[in-house]
Amino acid sequence: MLSKRVVKLAIPVAIGALALTACGDDGGGGGGDASGTVFKIAYQGPLSGDNVDLGINMENGVKLAIAEANESGDYDVTFEYLDADDRGEPGQATAAAQRAIDDEDVIAVVGPAFSGAAAVAAPLYGEAGMAALSPSATNPDLTQQGFPTFLRGVPNDAEQGAAIATFFAEQGVEKAMVIDDLDDYSIGLANVAQQGMEEAGIEVVRESVPSDTVDHSGIARTAVTSGADGLVYTGYYSQAGPLAVKLSEAGFDGIKLAGDGVKDPEFISLAPGGEAEEWYLSCPCRDLDADQEGRDFAERYEAEYNRAPGTYTPEAYDAAMMIIEAVAELGEAADRQSVYEAISVGTHDGVAKTLSFDENGEYAGSGIYIYRVENDTITALGDITEITG
Amino acid sequence: MTLFDFWDVLVLGVVLGSLYAVIAIGYTLVYGVLQLLNFAHSEVFMTGGFGGVIALTLVVPVAAPSLAQSAGYVILGICTGALLGATVAFFLEKVAYRPLRRRNAPRLVFLITAIGASFFLYNLAGKLFGRNAMPMPRMYENRTVFTIFDTTINITQLLIICSGVLMLLIVDHVVNRTKLGSGIRAVAQDPEVASLMGVNIDKVVSRTFILGGLMGGAAGFLFGTTNQVFYTMGFLPGITAFAAAVLGGIGNVRGAMLGGMTLGIVEAFTVDVFGDAWRYFGAFGALVLVLMIRPTGILGERVARTA
Amino acid sequence: MTATDNTPTTGAAGPIGSKRAAEAARLRRTAWYANPRFKRLAALMGVALVGAQVTGEQGTNRDIFHAMRENMTGPGLWLWVGACLLIWVVREFLRAPVANAWSTARRAGTGPAERARTVWRRDPRLRMLALTALLVFLIVLPFLVSRHWQQVLVDQIAIYVLLAIGLNVVVGWAGMLDLGFIAFFAIGAYSAAFWTGSLPVAPPFELNNFAVIPIAVITCLVAGVLLGAPTLRLRGDYLAIVTLGFHEIVYLMAKNWVEFTGGTRGASVDRFSIDLGFFSYQWGLDPRPYYWLQLGFIVALLVLFIRLEHSRVGRAWTAIREDEVAAAATGVDTVRFKLLAFAIGASTSGVAGVVYASKLGFINSEFFIVLFSVLVLSYVIFGGMGSIPGVLLGTAILIWLPEFLRDTVPAQDRYMYLGALLVIMMIYRPQGLWPSRRRVRELHMAEEGTATRAMPAAGGRPATTGGDTPS
Repeated sequence: MLSKRVVKLAIPVAIGALALTACGDDGGGGGGDASGTVFKIAYQGPLSGDNVDLGINMENGVKLAIAEANESGDYDVTFEYLDADDRGEPGQATAAAQRAIDDEDVIAVVGPAFSGAAAVAAPLYGEAGMAALSPSATNPDLTQQGFPTFLRGVPNDAEQGAAIATFFAEQGVEKAMVIDDLDDYSIGLANVAQQGMEEAGIEVVRESVPSDTVDHSGIARTAVTSGADGLVYTGYYSQAGPLAVKLSEAGFDGIKLAGDGVKDPEFISLAPGGEAEEWYLSCPCRDLDADQEGRDFAERYEAEYNRAPGTYTPEAYDAAMMIIEAVAELGEAADRQSVYEAISVGTHDGVAKTLSFDENGEYAGSGIYIYRVENDTITALGDITEITG
Repeated sequence: MTLFDFWDVLVLGVVLGSLYAVIAIGYTLVYGVLQLLNFAHSEVFMTGGFGGVIALTLVVPVAAPSLAQSAGYVILGICTGALLGATVAFFLEKVAYRPLRRRNAPRLVFLITAIGASFFLYNLAGKLFGRNAMPMPRMYENRTVFTIFDTTINITQLLIICSGVLMLLIVDHVVNRTKLGSGIRAVAQDPEVASLMGVNIDKVVSRTFILGGLMGGAAGFLFGTTNQVFYTMGFLPGITAFAAAVLGGIGNVRGAMLGGMTLGIVEAFTVDVFGDAWRYFGAFGALVLVLMIRPTGILGERVARTA
Repeated sequence: MTATDNTPTTGAAGPIGSKRAAEAARLRRTAWYANPRFKRLAALMGVALVGAQVTGEQGTNRDIFHAMRENMTGPGLWLWVGACLLIWVVREFLRAPVANAWSTARRAGTGPAERARTVWRRDPRLRMLALTALLVFLIVLPFLVSRHWQQVLVDQIAIYVLLAIGLNVVVGWAGMLDLGFIAFFAIGAYSAAFWTGSLPVAPPFELNNFAVIPIAVITCLVAGVLLGAPTLRLRGDYLAIVTLGFHEIVYLMAKNWVEFTGGTRGASVDRFSIDLGFFSYQWGLDPRPYYWLQLGFIVALLVLFIRLEHSRVGRAWTAIREDEVAAAATGVDTVRFKLLAFAIGASTSGVAGVVYASKLGFINSEFFIVLFSVLVLSYVIFGGMGSIPGVLLGTAILIWLPEFLRDTVPAQDRYMYLGALLVIMMIYRPQGLWPSRRRVRELHMAEEGTATRAMPAAGGRPATTGGDTPS
């Protein structure tokens, strides 16, 4: 029997030893070859929480860019990385942004990754005069609110939503159910898709499933009884997986499509019975296999991280590279404001696309791609304009 | 609402309700003997889910299992889940609660210990098994078994309802008909007198935790089968089941079953009528209302009084 | 549990006697593994095993055995086993010298400590001086710490201190278990957002953030009374679950009534500003001005509450907490005083809500999840409920710890350590860090009860504290 005394003895030891090992594990960060001034590039996005995979894909992209820049020896300054984890939640965004702003070495931020967090953090970055170049926040409203330093490096959801509507009209859908997860990004995309479909004459049923839902049998039943022959889910993969399972159990046989938040291999592994098959995924992100530059990038990435680049990895890489080049151009004199000004009017020919911005900080360009889950892999079908002709 | 809808939703509600009822048993038994709101029970439930995943990953289900194989997987999963849940519950009592019991600590201290243990356990699980959700390995092809009132019932639903009801019957039997049960009831009624009558209180408390842990763990596995397994999965079902225990009259085993079923069904109908966003609104609204009218729950308290 | 003596007792001499004695000894002898000494070893090995998991690798859902495999083969396990073995050896074989050294050290320390204490008790000027020094220290504190800690101080510590002193009135003084305290915090925060015109619904007239405070207090007061009046007749645990349910309902309203609250998308709130014509000031990104503002609120509330505690009201709360039936029998209007405590707690929470919303400049429903209600409660009890310095200290330490751990352990593991700390603390020091004197006496009485009762009181009804009347 474990007596009180044993507990009394064991626990302090446990704590002592724990403190020891904790100290032991720590350290070994940074280093750098100490050439020139150090500039930090922060990444704000989900590095914990439900959608951590999306965040890590981008974080690795940023890290890769920084590592390559430092190794190349082309620049007189040294770059370092700072993580600002916001769990992808607006509630954590203030703290994450503060973390980046309070570190005076941080010159610019890649992110915020999610739209909800971006809406909260962008004013703070604005006050600090620091560029926030988001590789993935696609809510259309973000560039309409006059945030002083917010830049978007992807086509926004007005375009993605319209593409979804076009795609559904093309597929002959008559009645569609649109499900959001009450998140900023999700509602934004769902609104645009709904509007587009209604204009195209498709009847739309709108539902909301909060992102902390554990049981999706209710919504699956609603989808089946609504008689819809098409379904759009605009949340993230962590919810889309179980939703796909329940939809298949309930016998939903219409066309299923999800937005860029679902385009992650984790979506397929969350539906192990093959329920993710034949889901369409729309994304303003390009397929890397399409050209040599993309394949090279994928190779370098895989050598570094032992996994294939994920959604928005190349976009994050491009964003970080654009910041790095702007800083290198300005040299030692670079500060937050000047870097922002340089980026906002600059052009960067990146791996995924050519980055440039209009006067609102909106990405100047377009391109929505459709993917499909086939044999447990996400396969590119091509640009929306090619598919719908 | 058409009749078709009614039966359909009712089935979803009963599935949820059986899970809640089984989890609520754990809360109510512990409350009966210790007067303790055992917040950490939701972590016992979570452990059961991981137990199932671990066991099934080890045996690696084949692609197209035969009926016997499928049954084997299910039984293996339930047993591992239940055993792991019971182990966690057992050590929880021994390490965290027993020292407090020895010094007759006030109830709030127990409550904070339970909260602390819950934090520790679910974060440890997140650390060990990863913080992403994972699905239960497929044990069978989930298809419709039969149709009743135009409502289809699939294997998972049938499995949950049947094993839930079976477990409830077993617990009811244990509490009302066995020696352990009379020990539990005696301790619930008056521990001092029970101790004078030769009941070994430590043993009874320990076994109560084990019984609750078995139920909680098995429920965790079943929940993982129909949904996903993840480290925070205990929280919301745990709170709902906790509310169910209170609704039925905490400490009252049959009350917990009734409370669990009620909340499951209320939840399913809330989701159907108002949407997923309001899922817990109905359950908690019902709880607050019922308690205002009947301050000790639907069936009143105490394990002892069900006999 | 003491080590059982398993050497045979050679009491009754003589051949038959010794034979019987040997027989009895054989029966009495326990297997080596049942020896308490080895049981303790086994328990320590268990601790080592769990400890190795706690400090080990991060797992992944792609391979759920990854972390366990690494932990069982890595050096961490051996470190833990070694440390635990060391403790075991010290405990079992070197106990006497260690205990001696400890008690000598203790005795040497008690003399001066005791003298200091008497001087402290006797001289009120000294106490005033110390308090003033503390206040001055708190005022200059932001200058001494980094920007990160300033943020922690403002966003978390000061806000939760406000909440904790409010909850302390409800739980610590009146003895009611409230698991829905953050609901009032939410009501306060949304009042601030509403009356400053930040919510999607426009208010009848817009107010300055400071002017919202009395309105938020009144709103929370009304909400507290509305919830409290029908539920306060419930016994302790039922009250807990009803408040929890109330919290859940408020949270769901905040989350889903998007037309009014903005849901998870939230609403941006204006920051504090003051404009008196001749003097105007706008609070911005710098956390320090908020800190001083919060300090002002906290000190004002503390003065108010301490006076309240030593008034007739405070004594009535104590009577209710210790024995509600007896209190009612001696003419204390229990319902009125309980309601008063509930309402005071709720309105403090409301003030904290206004300050919080006005500092962050943004609120959404996810700031008000059930977990936070549970956390505030644990802060109060960790510090020592009913004791103002304890509550302040407990809150500060429990918030400081995870922030401090952020840089030493993987950030996601922080709450695991917090949980372990809570469990350990409750086992060793259930009265909290800095308990009130009255509370120590109550606990002591409970433990005394253990000692004098005829049987070990395992499973016994814990003492009637925590708002529970014997039913």
